[in-house]
Amino acid sequence: MKHEDSSWSCYQLSLYQHPTSRVGVCKQEILQKKNAVLVDGVILNGPIMDSKAGEKLVEEACKIIMEEVVQKADDVTEKVCEWQAPEKLKQILDLEMRDTGESHQKILQLCRDVIKYSVKTNHPRFFNQLYAGIDYYSLVARFITEALNPSVYTYEVSPVFLLVEEAVIKKMIEFIGWEEGDGIFNPGGSVSNMYAMNLARYKFCPEIKEKGLSGLPRLVLFASEECHYSMKKAASFLGIGTENVYFIKTDERGKMIPEELEKQVQRARKEGSAPFLVCATAGTTVLGAFDPLDKIADICEKHGLWLHVDASWGGSALISRKHRRLLHGIHRADSVAWNPHKMLLAGIQCCALLVKDNSGLLKKCYSAEAAYLFQQDKFYDVSYDTGDKSIQCSRRPDAFKFWLMWKALGTTGLEERVNRALALARYLVEEIKKREGFQLILEPEYANVCFWYIPPSLRKMEDGPEFWQKLHQVAPIIKERMMKKGSMMLGYQPHWGKVNFFRQVVISPQVSREDMDFLLDEIELLAKDL
Amino acid sequence: HHALAGRFLTETLNTSPYTYEVAPVLVLMEEQVLSKLRELVGWSSGDGIFAPGGSMSNMLAMNVARFQRFPESRSRGNWDLPRLGLFASQESHYSILKGAALLGIGTDNVHLVRTDERWVGKMIPEELEKEIQRVKGSEPLFVCATSGTTVLGTFDPLDAIADICARHGLWLHVDAAWGGSFLGMPFSPQGLPKLCCFPPTRADSVTWNPHKLLMVGLQCSAFLLRDSSGLLQRCHGVGASYLFQRDKFYDVSLDTGDKSPQCGRRADGLKLWILWKAVGTRGLGQRVEYLLEQVKRREGFQLVTEPEFINLCFWFIPPSLRGQESSPEFWDKLGKVAPAIKEKMIRRGSMMVGYQPHGSRVNFFRQIITNPAVTRQDLDFFLDEIQELGWDL
Repeated sequence: MKHEDSSWSCYQLSLYQHPTSRVGVCKQEILQKKNAVLVDGVILNGPIMDSKAGEKLVEEACKIIMEEVVQKADDVTEKVCEWQAPEKLKQILDLEMRDTGESHQKILQLCRDVIKYSVKTNHPRFFNQLYAGIDYYSLVARFITEALNPSVYTYEVSPVFLLVEEAVIKKMIEFIGWEEGDGIFNPGGSVSNMYAMNLARYKFCPEIKEKGLSGLPRLVLFASEECHYSMKKAASFLGIGTENVYFIKTDERGKMIPEELEKQVQRARKEGSAPFLVCATAGTTVLGAFDPLDKIADICEKHGLWLHVDASWGGSALISRKHRRLLHGIHRADSVAWNPHKMLLAGIQCCALLVKDNSGLLKKCYSAEAAYLFQQDKFYDVSYDTGDKSIQCSRRPDAFKFWLMWKALGTTGLEERVNRALALARYLVEEIKKREGFQLILEPEYANVCFWYIPPSLRKMEDGPEFWQKLHQVAPIIKERMMKKGSMMLGYQPHWGKVNFFRQVVISPQVSREDMDFLLDEIELLAKDL
Repeated sequence: HHALAGRFLTETLNTSPYTYEVAPVLVLMEEQVLSKLRELVGWSSGDGIFAPGGSMSNMLAMNVARFQRFPESRSRGNWDLPRLGLFASQESHYSILKGAALLGIGTDNVHLVRTDERWVGKMIPEELEKEIQRVKGSEPLFVCATSGTTVLGTFDPLDAIADICARHGLWLHVDAAWGGSFLGMPFSPQGLPKLCCFPPTRADSVTWNPHKLLMVGLQCSAFLLRDSSGLLQRCHGVGASYLFQRDKFYDVSLDTGDKSPQCGRRADGLKLWILWKAVGTRGLGQRVEYLLEQVKRREGFQLVTEPEFINLCFWFIPPSLRGQESSPEFWDKLGKVAPAIKEKMIRRGSMMVGYQPHGSRVNFFRQIITNPAVTRQDLDFFLDEIQELGWDL
């Protein structure tokens, strides 16, 4: 129903922009003209929003978004970031939220400013995180879901998105190698890991759901020392305790050592604690390493432990026939976390937890059967109301953007992307080996290329504490310079006794070979005088 | 529309506000918005973070409360802690139960406090006191008061509950996911009891979901904390060295992402900020007021209870059942009316409204108007349509 009546414009304008000035006059006019009623001082009829003005705003904002973000996304001559110090940026943005609203033009200007000073994660030279680039299909899907604003808890309220989620989960399960299974989309890999931990705990001892952990034996879980920090956060959140995450040593390539896992499990048993879960990582955050899943699965089977594979980063390698061997054995996992918003550019957030069990374990573990939402007397098959499997109530339709991408590109299109990203990483590695001053930390098997840059002044220095201390300071300085210049963004970190090194991550299909060359040239340039 | 523009922008920028370096604008914006929300709650300082939903915000509150009382539980876990006691009203949102299960506290240790029959749905403070005394064997920790319950839309009496919490040293969390947006109103609307407009200033933490009444778009849920000593960071932070390096070239206290149990996170603050800039605090408050007034016009349908907020709960009694209130099958038959009408309206596609059973009451409709585009004619249509669809039942 459209409410197009110009006699309303006076009232709407007064309420929408200048709440106090013209209301008194307009009220009388409107009461006379329209069949309105006055209740408790408020006029009732006609909407309180000017839809026409709103639609115009959306159109104009979209135009700005198209011009300033989407069309510039793959332009390497644009800056990756427009660095400003925080205090300065606060002033520029005029962050304050006031009592009265601001004008249409001002709002559009604010949009422009937000874009200008935000980091362009779509840029081909943004390598800072485990996500990058832009996928146009995903973007379209996201605009659709934003405009529809659905919540995926029941079939009645979000029929399409619910069915889509089901179909996507089924497809992902196929790639893991299970015949059937269950799953759900979550707001983040950290949350997926949390789900898996809780599920494993529930399987181990279902009464914990009601009774809690108090008075029970100490639960213990195992993860590699290279695992994502969400394991610690999850352990703490779930009441298990960060101390009870036993970190397993990794080899020089960052992979969990199965013999060490066996040792730790034995140790935990001897202590009288209750081991219940092993989390293997397929694609670690810093080094991009893949734990040996087959051997780990053997140990889990032997000891009756739940095997969760955190494949948030590396899971997308399953799509590539060439590279899926990295995850060999994943079908033996009980649960898998896989984030298409990383390597597959599905758009933040898009994170699935897949579960091998098909007996409704996920639902049993998480449901609360709220009567106002999951009524059993609906007129359709209520097993479609999958929202009760979640710890969330309202939930975003995160599977849809992945689905649309998959429909557009096909498995082969997605596979091509993964293959290309890894090929580019390989190219970079070969170039690094050729160039003086660049030292590879380890031979990567995925898309993480970790290396030091040793500036000329340090190259003749002897290996010793002074050398490492000086080298440690190099990466932060180069990073500062690249950000202030806006030419690219690359992450660095210290790691297990190694001083600050760069972690280059290749993801986006918009990245070219020239960008890889540029990366090395630019580092050399920025570090000339160090 | 402003929030929608903000959402399109958020999608296109496609980033996670964990550090200033990767999302400078969004990080500053989140801090600004949280600060404004805290101001409306009545705090001049404090902490907070955006979470993916009110359920999660409630769980954060539970976790922070537990950590504050038992800091070592973060590392040691719960297994050697005494049994904890959590309290919420019978009308509270189900995320309290889900949270208790997830956090390893146990749903048995959530004690649901009886609500008032007269002012239907409000937690009875005396009953809360009784429950706390009753579970003295375990360690009472946390009370969740609800400002705007899910079904009936009632507001727990915060002052009385705060007194009890102060007396027993319990953490007071106010789940204002639904009702929080009342706080944006510049004045108390006429005809509503003052109690329900009470700002939750005495709370230790508050959940507030602008994605509900302020229509900002899923998801947008703020977890607000009164503490400003860094409790949130100490509770959740692990200082991952690949993300939260200490040797960055800017003030790293801006890297607020470690305060959350999440790593990657959506930038939910932008859409709210744009909306607020466009409409102003007063504009937001006025929307809420308009909706309230709409609801107060009763149309002769049988109300389940006098609405305190904007949840209008009622039964439609078709002609065939009228006058039969005393017959034993009346309620049974009435319970089948709402589902049948719901099916018809969905198949027709004319409108959608929720129903549910609640406590001992059979299925009734819960009408909630959050969309400012709704007019009086829409409400007339709503009632006419129910009558039409349900006439021959």
